Amino acid sequence: MSSLTNEEVLAIARAVDLEIHEPDLTQVRLSLNAILEAMDQVDIPGLNNQEPLPIIPPQEEADGQ
Amino acid sequence: MASRDIIYLSATELGRQIHSGNVSPVEAAEAYLERIEEVEPTLNAYITVLGDEAIESARQAESEIAVGNHRGPLHGVPVGVKDQIHTAGILTTSASKLRADFVPDEDATVVRNLKRSGAVIIGKLNMTELAFGDPITSAFGVTGNPWDPPRNPGTSSTGSGAATAAFMCATSLGEDTGGSVRGPAANCGLVGLRPSWGRVSRYGVDGASWSLDTIGPVSRTAEDCAATIGAIAGHDPRDPYTWDTPVPDYPSLLGGGISGLKIGLVKEFTDPEVSAATPETLDAISVATEVLSELGAEVQQVTLPLAPIAGLASRTISAVERSGLHPEWIRERAEDFHPNIRVQLMTAELIPGTVYNKAQKMRSMIRAQTLEALESVDVLLMPTSPAPPQVMDLTAGINSEREAASWLSDASFRGLFSMVSGPALSILCGFTTEDGVELPLAMQIAGRPFDEATLLRVAHTYEQATEWHTRKPPI
Repeated sequence: MSSLTNEEVLAIARAVDLEIHEPDLTQVRLSLNAILEAMDQVDIPGLNNQEPLPIIPPQEEADGQ
Repeated sequence: MASRDIIYLSATELGRQIHSGNVSPVEAAEAYLERIEEVEPTLNAYITVLGDEAIESARQAESEIAVGNHRGPLHGVPVGVKDQIHTAGILTTSASKLRADFVPDEDATVVRNLKRSGAVIIGKLNMTELAFGDPITSAFGVTGNPWDPPRNPGTSSTGSGAATAAFMCATSLGEDTGGSVRGPAANCGLVGLRPSWGRVSRYGVDGASWSLDTIGPVSRTAEDCAATIGAIAGHDPRDPYTWDTPVPDYPSLLGGGISGLKIGLVKEFTDPEVSAATPETLDAISVATEVLSELGAEVQQVTLPLAPIAGLASRTISAVERSGLHPEWIRERAEDFHPNIRVQLMTAELIPGTVYNKAQKMRSMIRAQTLEALESVDVLLMPTSPAPPQVMDLTAGINSEREAASWLSDASFRGLFSMVSGPALSILCGFTTEDGVELPLAMQIAGRPFDEATLLRVAHTYEQATEWHTRKPPI
């Protein structure tokens, strides 16, 4: 995937009513690109069919100890 | 007993001396307050020191014990509490300007439980702003590492690590989202326990990440850690995610040794061919493993291929969940944040929902893989951190995408077990020397959900066979 530019980051920020000014803007861009690119590279077989983790683990995990 | 001798006792030994009448709780509180006065200017481990309140609590403990009302191993023992944990009538800042005047009306459940156990709350400990993982961000100044003050004491419970290691409290509470109890324990040469999610109430704790936060002890010995977690654990109707399951008497389960215990060495973090840990860290893990083998444990290598992406998942989930706590703050009071925290919060606001969802799916798979491994071994073992504590860069910001990416991958060391929801413990396992300074190294032991007792037993058994925990930082 291609990296976001400062202008694109500002556009996304505007969509959520967030003001970002320099020097924060460049750092936000670097951080966001790092996360998005790292996540984009994650390609685990079966991931798409996986349900996100239920926050409450099954009760038997506690009862089993 | 001299003040210095009192503070050098472990928390549980101090508790025994208090119970037997050899040390009074007031003497203990005074000794610790004297120590705080001595080293606080160097370490900045506290945001609020509770001098008068601690003495008053100590007097009450003394009166109770005198009439035979002994509450347990921490009765009369001075305990420090991280400043995101609410204390009734006492400033609770989360180390942020945005909370600089916040005084809660009631105690967090863990504080109520500590008080019920007779512990003396001696102060509120410094931390990173809003429990983010950046050591330089507290609105109340940076906390130093007792082994070498310019170095990182471990985040985010910076004060919990520094104060406990520097004998400014007997034991302490921290909060662990992606490693914030285990990191300070590792960097300061202590024992830190992230309990199972649901073992300890989070009621009255300013949240960092609602699906990852846990409250746990940072202590000088495994026995102290056992006593502290025993004091705070248990079901709480005010935290619907706590489990209604019995809390073992942890200190009574420390004995028995580890003969026949199966330990899985996590290949991805312990094999020099693939691990990002420094050679001295891996050497310390190797030596510790030999000690555990000599003690009767059966050590084998296990592989967790998804573990290296745990940090990415952990950082992504916690970032998004943090940004949702007070979305108005970053819009209305952005200038009140430390610049590094402001950048992290703004970044989190822009992470797409699909990415957060993918991170949760990753978490599910990482968790399943790790729990499957724990069906063939009793505990997993790996370094807590990739390297010994480093000198803090007080001007730090994010200067490159590579730097930002490295921050994500380093998080896997502790983020792995945050993803699993089971307990994980960090314990000192050696020292290395950098620039003439002796620095602690640590191993992490993780187990099945709600099996904190086994981790504490392994740690205690290891501690009895080694001398690392007896060394004192030079401060």
